[in-house]
Amino acid sequence: MEQGHIEADSAFGFDGNWQDFAKIALPNLLLTIVTLGIYRFWATTRERKYLWSHSRFVDERLEWTGTGKELFIGFALVLGLFVLPVFLLNLVAQSLIARGYEVAGAILGILPLLLLFYLTGLARFRALRYRLSRTRWRGIRGGSNDPGFKYGLSYMWKTFVGYLPAGLLIPWSMTSLWNERMGKMSFGPHHFESSADSGNVFGRFLLFYLSPFVFFIGAIVAGATGAFAGYGLGGESGAAMGGVAMIVALVLFFYIGLGLIAVAFYAKFYREVVGSTSWGDLRFNFEASTMDWVKLLIGDALLVVLTLGIGFIFLSYRHWKFFMTHMEAGGEILLDDLTQSTTATAKHGEGLLDAFDIGAI
Amino acid sequence: MHDEAFQLAAQWYDGQNAVRHEGEAVWDGGDSLRLAAPTSRMEVPLSDLAWGEERGGQKVYQRTSEPDFRLILPAELPAGLAARLPAKATYGAWVDNLGLGKATAIFAAVSVAAVALFMTAPDWLGPRVPVSWERKLGDAMIGDFGGRLCSTPAGDAAMAKLLDSVDPAKEQVRAGVANIGMVNAVAVPGGRVLLFDGLVQQAETPEELAGVLGHEVGHVRERHVMTALLRQFGLSILLSGANSGVGDTIFGLASMGYSRDAEREADEFSRARMAESDISPLGAAEFFERLGGDEEESEGSNITGWIASHPGPGERARAYRAAAKGKSFKPVLTDKEFQAIKSMCREDPDVEEFEFF
Repeated sequence: MEQGHIEADSAFGFDGNWQDFAKIALPNLLLTIVTLGIYRFWATTRERKYLWSHSRFVDERLEWTGTGKELFIGFALVLGLFVLPVFLLNLVAQSLIARGYEVAGAILGILPLLLLFYLTGLARFRALRYRLSRTRWRGIRGGSNDPGFKYGLSYMWKTFVGYLPAGLLIPWSMTSLWNERMGKMSFGPHHFESSADSGNVFGRFLLFYLSPFVFFIGAIVAGATGAFAGYGLGGESGAAMGGVAMIVALVLFFYIGLGLIAVAFYAKFYREVVGSTSWGDLRFNFEASTMDWVKLLIGDALLVVLTLGIGFIFLSYRHWKFFMTHMEAGGEILLDDLTQSTTATAKHGEGLLDAFDIGAI
Repeated sequence: MHDEAFQLAAQWYDGQNAVRHEGEAVWDGGDSLRLAAPTSRMEVPLSDLAWGEERGGQKVYQRTSEPDFRLILPAELPAGLAARLPAKATYGAWVDNLGLGKATAIFAAVSVAAVALFMTAPDWLGPRVPVSWERKLGDAMIGDFGGRLCSTPAGDAAMAKLLDSVDPAKEQVRAGVANIGMVNAVAVPGGRVLLFDGLVQQAETPEELAGVLGHEVGHVRERHVMTALLRQFGLSILLSGANSGVGDTIFGLASMGYSRDAEREADEFSRARMAESDISPLGAAEFFERLGGDEEESEGSNITGWIASHPGPGERARAYRAAAKGKSFKPVLTDKEFQAIKSMCREDPDVEEFEFF
C-alpha cells in the first residue's frame, strides 16, 4: 500500500524558467499574428502544457491534456450560439424601435444583457470544470458531473442580492459562490469541499467604505499645504500652480489608494476561500500576502511598460508561478484510494470564458 | 532475440488509479513493449502509443486505447526504438509538418489574402446583391419607420415632384420626410431615402432640398448602402478571431458609415441629375456653406454628425458652385410646393413623435 504524507511547505512546486517559456511564447505570438488570432487556441494549449508540466504536486508533475482544437471548437460554439443570435436580436430590436415599438425594442435590447449576466456565471463554472477535467496528475483527472446551468442562476441572484444593500453583501455573494462552485468539483474519487466564511473577509471589505473619508481628509490637507507651498514660490499664480499639482497628486492617490484597497481585499479573500477548501483529507492554503500581490502587479506593469508591451506574453507565466508558489496543502492522501474520476467530460473547451475574458480561479 | 534488444527504466500509470508503477520496459525489436514492475505487468503494442509531452527531462507517451495511461521513458532512447515510437509534436500537426518558418509564411500569405478579400468584397459584392433582396432586408429592418413619416396630400405631391427631378429612373427610390428634429438625411437599406424634418426646416430654397435628396438617391443608386452593410458584417467576422470581446463586435456593427469616395460619388450623382433637370446646384452650395461655415469650425452640435462622415463642406460647396457656372436654371418647385413640404410634419395629424423612451 502506497501512502503519501504531506508536510505543509512542499506540496506544490514550480520549476519553470522564463527563458524556456519565451521559447514557447514568442513563436506563439508570431503564429497568432500571422493567423489573425486563430492560432491563439493552440498557443494557449502550448503555454499550459509547459506551465502544468513544470508544476509539481507532492511527488509528481501535472499534465495538461487539453487541445487547441477543442478550445477552437468552444470558441466557434460561442460564436454560433451566442454572438450571432445576439447580433440578430439586436437587428430585430433596432427594427422594432424604428417601427415605433420602443418598449418592445428596449426589452429585446436588454435581453442579451441579462443573457450575458447568466452566461458570465455559467462560463466561470464551466471553465473551472474544463480545466480540472484536462489536468492529469498520476494519471487521474478531475471534473464535475454538474453542467453548471444552475450555478449560472445562483450567480445571477447572489450577485444581484450582494449589491442591493449598498454592496454590503458582496463578500457574502463572493464566498458563497466560491463554496457552491468548488463543492461541485472533484478530482479522482474525492469531491472538493469549501466552507469559506464571508465574516472573515468583511473587515477588509469595509475599507472600501472608509476610503471616501480618508480621501476627503487627504484632499483638505494636501490642498492646503500645496496651495501654501505654491504661494511661497510665487504669489497668486504660484498658489494656483500648487493647487493644480495637488489635484493631480490627489487623483493619483485616489486611484492608487483604491487599487491598494482592492488588492488588500482580494489577498484576504483568496487566503480565506482557498484556506477553506479541502479535497479528501487534504486541506489547501494560499499564502500570498497583500504585499506579495502588490509586488506581482507592479512587476506586471513594469514588465509590460519597459518592453513596450511585448512583456504581456509573460503575464500568464508570472501569474501561474505566483499561484503555484503560494499554494500549500497539508494532510494525508492514500494513493491506493485515488481512483480515476468518473465525471463526464465536455468535448469542447472554455469558449464562453474565452469570449468574456474572465479568469477561472 | 534481436541485436536491438533493450531494457529501459520506465514508470507508468494505468489510468485507473494514482499508483505509480516503477520497473523496466523491455523491447526485443518486435512490435510491442513489455512493461514489468513488482506491481504491474503488461504488454503494450507500439502502434497503440501516442506522443504525450516532454516532462521533467523525460518522454511521456499515452495509449490510444486507454487515454489516461501514461508511460514515462528516459529522454535518451536507443535509436532503433526511438524510430518506432511516435514523433514529438510541438506546435500542432500542420506547423510541425511544414516547419515553423514555412508555416508562418503560408499563414501570413493566407491571412493577407483573406484580409484583402474581406476589404474589397463589399465593393464588388454590394452592387451585385439584387435590388429586390435589399428592399426586403430594408423592409424587415425599418418597416414603415414607426409611422414617423410625414404625409399630407400637397406635401406628398411636392416630394414626388422633387424626387422626379433627381431620380428619373423608372422604378424610383422611396423618399419621405421623417418627423425627426435632427438636421440629417439618410439612405437606409431597402432603397429608401429619408429627409429629417430638422433639415427641411433649415433649408431656405427647394434647390437645397433637391441637392440633399439627389445625394442620398446617389447612395442608393450606387449601391453604397448594401456595400456599407456588407463591409460592417465582414469586419465583424474578421475581427472575431483576434478580438474576443463580444461587446466590441456588437458596437462595431452599430456604427455604419460611408467612405469619402462614396460621398463624392453621391455628390457627383446629385449634380449630374440636377444638370439634366436644369436645377440650380447653387442651393446645395449655399446649404453646405451655411451648415459647415468655414471648413475649420463647425457651429451647432446637431449638424456635426452629418458633416463628420462627409468631405469638407467648403470643398463640396465649391464643387456645386463650379457646376453652376455659365448656366441658367428653372425653379424646381413653386413657393407653394416648397411650403407644403415644410409644413408636412406639422400638418400631418397621424404622425408619431420621435423619442427613444
